[in-house]
Amino acid sequence: MSKIRALILAVSVLLFVGCGSLDKPTNEKVVGGEVVVDLDGNSIKTSLIAAGTPGIDENSTVYGYKAYKIPYTTTDEEGNSVAVSGLMVVPLGLPEVVYSTLGLSLVSDSHGTIFPNAEAPTEVAGTTNSPDGSSILLTSLGGFVTLQADYIGFGDSHGHYHPFILKKSLANATVDFISAARDFASHNEINLNGQLFLTGYSEGGYTALATLEKIEAETSLDVTMAAPMAGPYDVNRTAFGVLSQDTISVPSFMADIAYAYALAYDEDVLMVVNEPYASKLEGLFDGFHTRVEIDAELTTQTTGEEGLFSQSFVYDFFTNSNNWFREAVGENNVHTWGPQTTVKLIHCEGDDVIPFGISQIAEATMNAYGAADVSIVPVETVLGIPEPVGHVACGAMAYSIATNIFAQTRAATIGY
Amino acid sequence: MNKIIALSVVTSGLLIAGGYKIPEQSLNSMALGSAYVAHTTDADTAYFNPANMSFLDNSLNYLESGITLAHLPSNTFKGVQYLPGIGGVATSSKSETENLPIPYFHYVAPAMGKWRFGLSMTAPGGLTKRWKSPVQKTFAEEFTLENIELNPVLSYKINEKFSVGGGIRLVYSMGKVYSDGNDLGVPFKREMEGDTIEFGYNLALAWKPTSDIAVGITYRSKIDLDEEGEANLYLGNVGQQYDATVSVPLPAALNIGVSKTWNDTLTVEFVYERTFWSAYKTLNFDYDSAIQPGLVSSFDDPKLKDWVDTNTFKFGVTYEMNEKLTLMGGYAYDETPVPTKTLSYELADSDAHVFSGGFKYKQNEQLNWGVAVLYDLKESHTLELGENENGIVGKFTDGGALLITLGISYKF
Repeated sequence: MSKIRALILAVSVLLFVGCGSLDKPTNEKVVGGEVVVDLDGNSIKTSLIAAGTPGIDENSTVYGYKAYKIPYTTTDEEGNSVAVSGLMVVPLGLPEVVYSTLGLSLVSDSHGTIFPNAEAPTEVAGTTNSPDGSSILLTSLGGFVTLQADYIGFGDSHGHYHPFILKKSLANATVDFISAARDFASHNEINLNGQLFLTGYSEGGYTALATLEKIEAETSLDVTMAAPMAGPYDVNRTAFGVLSQDTISVPSFMADIAYAYALAYDEDVLMVVNEPYASKLEGLFDGFHTRVEIDAELTTQTTGEEGLFSQSFVYDFFTNSNNWFREAVGENNVHTWGPQTTVKLIHCEGDDVIPFGISQIAEATMNAYGAADVSIVPVETVLGIPEPVGHVACGAMAYSIATNIFAQTRAATIGY
Repeated sequence: MNKIIALSVVTSGLLIAGGYKIPEQSLNSMALGSAYVAHTTDADTAYFNPANMSFLDNSLNYLESGITLAHLPSNTFKGVQYLPGIGGVATSSKSETENLPIPYFHYVAPAMGKWRFGLSMTAPGGLTKRWKSPVQKTFAEEFTLENIELNPVLSYKINEKFSVGGGIRLVYSMGKVYSDGNDLGVPFKREMEGDTIEFGYNLALAWKPTSDIAVGITYRSKIDLDEEGEANLYLGNVGQQYDATVSVPLPAALNIGVSKTWNDTLTVEFVYERTFWSAYKTLNFDYDSAIQPGLVSSFDDPKLKDWVDTNTFKFGVTYEMNEKLTLMGGYAYDETPVPTKTLSYELADSDAHVFSGGFKYKQNEQLNWGVAVLYDLKESHTLELGENENGIVGKFTDGGALLITLGISYKF
């Protein structure tokens, strides 16, 4: 029997030689960031054709792209340094002369309103590896390097409250990301030509104009053109408009403004928002809830005992010129100055969330402040669409116009 | 990784029976085309019908060891592969040729009263298929399933004509799934490796109604090989690693054999085998978190298999020419479990004719050695437009297997 035991032991040793772990994927290494997407143009074109994307067929020119997550540091509303992140998307497959001689043009594309951290640009790219909507237009079709800051509160700074429609920290996060991306490019042999375009939709449109204001006021950066899209540039008027309505169609937006402003201005949100909603806000805006989930926890009634906002707060807002919120929204307007950069305010006339009139006011106000070249680009008129287009549907159309305007400018100045 | 490679050299599996089951696990079984259930006479009895251990010489230890050298010619495919978003891609391709060594070992201990112990180490199932052509590697750059089975068994002799047996099946299994569509413009790539240890059982019955007729029935239980490991999934040139699991069945099999011996020199055996492949419904990979949405349809959605139970008919002849030399030959007809609807490149299986032969030489009273050869001839398989859910239209030819077994047995 001892022979048998020896035999079993020998065979068992052979049997239980287990598998080692599979080595992790060997993704490309870069200095100061990480590659999160690397797709060639044919792959993107195939997926666009398969998805039935209008205007894309076998003969279309579609560039591939590499997307990099870049960590950097910015400053929040309170003046604290915050570790944040952003996504840099670089086109692949342009003529070699672009990479070697002409250089790539930058577009800072500020993202629109999001609530869950999973929707932040670096999170989307890192978890799905899928082409992002605006990156497809700006990078894969336009051939631009696209920059998308996550903003404070998302990406690497998830956990920090998001300074919703607070221009100082939104502009900080964007300007600092432009600088970080330029450093990243120089360390990784990405040849930039110095051109910088600014754009963004909705909250991103607001951020783009805030960024331009900060750049012109505080930095030596040279912006080629800005094309903010459908942003609430006049926050004061937006707040008056919302609070004067009996109901709020999307309560999460205004509740987030109240929550962020109360934190930024060190005010008690309980004095602004009624219970039981006020106590829920910190949990609802924790970066794990979607807009639909948040809206379901709030009310669409603007004010009153059952309303979202305290009746005394709303009354004070309308009647007291020293009301802290009234002063705060005034401070965060981004249209009360005169840009010296060319600005194209792209907006759909049928916008049902941010009224087209906001862009008209912004244009008139900035011109009154001595703007060099500010004009409105009405989307339906430019595209020849007979019906008014709402806020959500307008996004892709507005991006296509911005991409074309930027591409024409680049062709006229850089030569491609 | 080095451990995996070392193990693979020893135990690489292959396809020689319908599906990925390998019935031939000894010199005699190879020479007889596994028509070897009723009339088993050596240490491999422990594996092929443990109940028959009761009828071996009670006082002896039986040992057998050997190695099978398997040559697996290429599968050839000519036709069109239809891909979502791309359309039809014409392809004429060959899979890689495989040359694999497969060892085995059997042991039967002397009887202890009416009981007898045996032990086998075999590779009861496996599959290795590799393609380097762009279309095929999109689905099966490499698909490997390797199994080693340790099978301790006992027999109980009820009387001089009737015995029963059974044992525990301890199966170590390792799977590898690699696919890469980049050469075809499909930016999807997968690397998965996993392993598992699973248990099952086997039962056996031996009946000798007369001195020249033997009946054997064996049953090997189904074992679900729940491979656990890691998967690297790539979209473009960026990959992410996940913990991953996938389950494939090592199917249950029922063998019924009847043999007749004339003048103690000529034995003819017929075996009917029913293999319960219908247990293989889907191939379903699971991950510890959601994978990239663009990869879900390729790497996460369950792949329909819907295999069917199969019949195999085996016929073997053993002829003792003289005291020293025994000749063996066999033929089997082996149905494939793979329906045309779900056939894919990792196992482009078809019905097969199996021809085998060999000899055994008695060196002395204790030592025997021998050589067996088996040729597995696969029928061609044509898939018409609309027949196959994986978008394959065309004809698979060639493939099959040529195996040579060198075995040595010792009695003491």
